[in-house]
Amino acid sequence: MAILEIKHVSKFFGGLAANSDVSFEMVTGMIMGLIGPNGAGKTTLFNCITGYYPPSRGEILFDGHRMNGLHPDAVCKLGMARTWQKVRPLAKMSVVDNVMVGALCRTNSLSKARDMAMEKIKVVGLENRVKVLAGSLPIGERKKLEVARVLATKPKLLLLDEVMGGLNPAESEEIIQLILDIKHLGITQMVIEHDMKAIMRISDRIVVLNSGEKLAEGNPQEIVSNKAVVDAYLGGE
Amino acid sequence: MQNMRGMSTLPVLLTAVAVVALFLFPNFVESTYALHIMILIFISVIMGLGWNILGGYTGQYSVGHAAYFGVGAYTTIVLMQYRHIAPWYGVWAGIVVAVAVALIIGSICFRLRGPYFVLASIAVAEIFRVTALNLKKLTNGAEGILITDIPPFKIGDIVITDFMSKVPFYYIGLVTLLIAIIVTWLLQNSKLGYYFQAIREDQDAAHSLGINLTVYKNVALAFSVVFTSLAGSIYGLYVGFIDPSTVLALDLSVQIVMICIIGGIGTIFGPVIGAVVLVPFSEALRSNMIAQALIDSGLVNENSGFGSFLKEQLSHAHVLIYGILLVVVILFMPDGILGFIRKKLLAKRQKEAI
Repeated sequence: MAILEIKHVSKFFGGLAANSDVSFEMVTGMIMGLIGPNGAGKTTLFNCITGYYPPSRGEILFDGHRMNGLHPDAVCKLGMARTWQKVRPLAKMSVVDNVMVGALCRTNSLSKARDMAMEKIKVVGLENRVKVLAGSLPIGERKKLEVARVLATKPKLLLLDEVMGGLNPAESEEIIQLILDIKHLGITQMVIEHDMKAIMRISDRIVVLNSGEKLAEGNPQEIVSNKAVVDAYLGGE
Repeated sequence: MQNMRGMSTLPVLLTAVAVVALFLFPNFVESTYALHIMILIFISVIMGLGWNILGGYTGQYSVGHAAYFGVGAYTTIVLMQYRHIAPWYGVWAGIVVAVAVALIIGSICFRLRGPYFVLASIAVAEIFRVTALNLKKLTNGAEGILITDIPPFKIGDIVITDFMSKVPFYYIGLVTLLIAIIVTWLLQNSKLGYYFQAIREDQDAAHSLGINLTVYKNVALAFSVVFTSLAGSIYGLYVGFIDPSTVLALDLSVQIVMICIIGGIGTIFGPVIGAVVLVPFSEALRSNMIAQALIDSGLVNENSGFGSFLKEQLSHAHVLIYGILLVVVILFMPDGILGFIRKKLLAKRQKEAI
């Protein structure tokens, strides 16, 4: 069953088409990789899906709801959560308080929120950093904190914007395992990533964007052997 | 963040002793000047705590809180003076009017972020001041309103107080202040407190975590305005005279913010410390106490050029000295006096641990 349907979505900034006529579907439980060169419109598409901008044209359906015009807080309540390419820790709050803010989306009780937060902190492996201020964490742990915080909002669909960006190979490997663990929890994921090896390993399907348009869609084997994709990345004639 | 488990017994005990001492204070101190200073401190703490909910916890730096202080004061006093409605009803009317006005302004201004919000808040407060100056029928314009007398407060036929001395104002201020501290503590340990702080730290991140920014900023504003308006009403009743250039002035808005910055914003006791430092300090400057003390102590010769300069000019320079104090605090104690003390204590504890 399709959990997310993107139908002919376009987004214009003045005369510039950041996305034009992008369509694809996501099935419950899958990991969708979203790749493309810099400026291809990946983050713009994320922002349209999660309510930061309304799409200029087209329609986004999530779990049967039409998402156009919904604000990010309403989007989150419906069960769609995102992380940020540039991490956004709540710097002067502790790790557990950060994750509790996410959990409070589903409960009004602080003690329940604290229990939920501790559970998610264990999932990402930050149990020994619970009382540390988020602003003092190194980048690898900040990325994990972001994931714990969005997990605490109990999403059905998670959109991860370059969670491996700026990480060393060992840290990237931990995040790959984390994404696969989240898949086992039954949460559908869409992942923007520049690390091709990683994206090929984790994705069930991949959508390639180039200059705002959908260039190709398919499973990882199909994508690596697609001539248009290879040209877009390596430069054609 | 503090929570019940994080609080050790010593500060709780000290706070309890301080509260008892404050309640007994008028029984032992007869000086009306001392009572006067205490009442001014209480009013400053109340308005500081009010601003702190919006500015300190939610990160929306309003430099226009004089608007709500003034609306509270004017509502209470206009009702009492012209409509003969007793102030203990008028104070609530003041809160209702101030909150209603604030929510209208908030719904418009909270679209703006950062410095743009600060500028809008200043502009709104100036609109209120100019309006009060010109609505002569309601506010008596620049002449202000002089209170003739406050009706005695009775329950049934028993007169609780007749407001003839400063003591009733002392207790009204003290009780309101304690309520403001308790409300801040409750907020800090609730979902609202978490949401306010999330908005302060990163609005976009907060938004994506399911927080409706407009709603929660307005909730913070409403709590904030309740105490700012109360402070305004108590001030108006206590001083017995209000005019636009005292209760609606930009000076006042700035002073509210300074109390919090100097004490430590986003903490319960920051505004308390800020007011305890600032109010006596500015009072001492204004009444020329500091210049006199310098001369009396023999540090400065009264007949020298510098001495007579101080004696004549220091009291006029209190705004300048305020400014210098603010710069010093921001440079050397960016988290205010309370933040500075906490940091020192933490460093000491870590040293001992090693």
